[in-house]
Amino acid sequence: MLAALLLPSLLTAGTEPPAGAVKLNEPRVQYRADEASATRSPWIDANGWRMARDAGKTFVYHVKGEAAALAAAESFTYGAGALISADAPGAEAFGRMLQFLKTVPEVDLTPVADFGVVDDGSALDGELLNLLTRMNLLYKIEKNADRSFQVNVRLGTKEYPKEDARNPSVLAHKIRAQIGDENRSLRIYGSEVVVGRLLSGPDQARVFLLNYSGRPVLGLRVRVRGAYSKGELHAAGLADARVADWNQDGPATEFTVPELRAFAVIDLGR
Amino acid sequence: MLAGFEEIPSYKVVSHYPAAKNSEMPGPYRGIVARVHSKSVIHHERVDQASVDKMLSAGIKTLTGAKAEKEAWASFFSPSDVVGIKVNCSGAPRICASPEVVGGIVRNLLSVGVQPANIYIYERFLDQLTSVRYKRFVPEGVQIVAIETPRASLLGYDPKTYVDVSFFGEDDTRSNLARLVTERFTKIINVPNAKEHQAAGVTGCLKNLAYGDFSNVARSHMREQTNTLSFIGTLAAVEPLRSKCVLNIMDGIRAVWHGGPFSENKKYRFHPKTMMVGTDPVAIDRLLLDLIEEKRKAEGAPSLWDRSMDKIDRRAHLDFHKNTFIREPGHIEYAATNFGLGEYDRNRIKVTAVEV
Repeated sequence: MLAALLLPSLLTAGTEPPAGAVKLNEPRVQYRADEASATRSPWIDANGWRMARDAGKTFVYHVKGEAAALAAAESFTYGAGALISADAPGAEAFGRMLQFLKTVPEVDLTPVADFGVVDDGSALDGELLNLLTRMNLLYKIEKNADRSFQVNVRLGTKEYPKEDARNPSVLAHKIRAQIGDENRSLRIYGSEVVVGRLLSGPDQARVFLLNYSGRPVLGLRVRVRGAYSKGELHAAGLADARVADWNQDGPATEFTVPELRAFAVIDLGR
Repeated sequence: MLAGFEEIPSYKVVSHYPAAKNSEMPGPYRGIVARVHSKSVIHHERVDQASVDKMLSAGIKTLTGAKAEKEAWASFFSPSDVVGIKVNCSGAPRICASPEVVGGIVRNLLSVGVQPANIYIYERFLDQLTSVRYKRFVPEGVQIVAIETPRASLLGYDPKTYVDVSFFGEDDTRSNLARLVTERFTKIINVPNAKEHQAAGVTGCLKNLAYGDFSNVARSHMREQTNTLSFIGTLAAVEPLRSKCVLNIMDGIRAVWHGGPFSENKKYRFHPKTMMVGTDPVAIDRLLLDLIEEKRKAEGAPSLWDRSMDKIDRRAHLDFHKNTFIREPGHIEYAATNFGLGEYDRNRIKVTAVEV
């Protein structure tokens, strides 16, 4: 499946979204103090899994302020047709993001996945997909197990009992361990609030980075499996941004995004 | 599995920097510590600069055997050096590397020809660093810099030098070494405090270097468990940090016997009026263990080695009978045993005590 670049639209005031449109959450981060830890575990409200599950449908966001820009970037990242209902500041933020999205070059690339998930459409599967997305574990939603993957997750089987899925975090970490961090196609270091997506083709790849925090992330490090010699950074809100500290070593390529505001796209070439 | 310790996480160390012969910790004075005491160095929380200067002079001369102070400093530093002074400000301004001590170190560096602009007083976090007015104690041109500006920025860290480990399933498994260490400094002077630490047992030379020069280290603690046992030594042994840290000067003028490292409660602070000078971080930290353990015993607090779960309490910083985490004072021996970072055996540590 090729990923088309779909631009989101602003839903004009008083207009109803089309029947059957899938309503999405406001993309954001909720900081929840882990009562038993000195650190904080942020909770990301990300919609990528819903756009992956309901590919081809129309999606609708009801958001305010800068969240409209992130919503636009999120739907663009997943190649989903989205309508965004926003207040006046949100419409302005949307407009800025739309201008940026129009500058991102068209590419003809395929989404990268490290494993498959056989999705029965249940809430339990949904919870798992949601967590996998937030953990930057790249999956492909399947109707039947794809033998080209070493790991295929189907809840209710002996290997993935439904009881285990009641704690999706434990299950997600099990899947992560089965894949192995070294084998993951995309790793992100330096932030717990950035979600990535990866597309690839024979000679190039594209990384999408969505920052859900509302604050810039500085010095984000990205690791992509594969040997690439160059990278072009398109960063929303930043003119002439460039990737830094390029390192192609062994089976992977790494680089730093010096500043990530709400959204960036990095095009990698051989 | 590393020697003698169980359930150690799997660490991957990535560094392209080779060890520098003859300078990597524990350096030329393995197992040797100059311990200097001065009755007059602090009075009613006011530190006496003249006493500090005498302590520094006595400490460095005793360590090196040099007759003159300048000769002693010149055995470590040359005019072409770029020197980082790793202070500890995690409890600042209540307790920190005293500006009088840091100012004294800077004057000695200048005396052997190090340029002011090539002297850096540094710490991870700017807010902690600037809460101590080091600027008032050093000449114009000396640099006072934080690694992480603003907090959580990774730009000040070297993306190619790191320790990769997963403690609790966190997705960001890397802790990167500061660029100042890899790219700028030629030498480092480590200036820790003498503090109890609720996770590590004590925080001295090793912890100040390890958790003070790498990113993303707080992830090692969760609930009552910490991975400080193995993480501290692993970080401190990473090159080029290990080779560039040529001198440790523990500021024990003030100390903390409970509630460290932040020391919110002044009733847990005391005044050992001591400075320890050496190249061996393990030997100094071994003596620090004794210092804090003895004080806790005198105050009726549980041993640093007490691992009872019934004493675990999140509010332990307010109650010295409780512990926030299971402390890991064994991190010092671990660093000695597994990385050869110094001498842990108390019987093989030669302490020269000096009174000034």
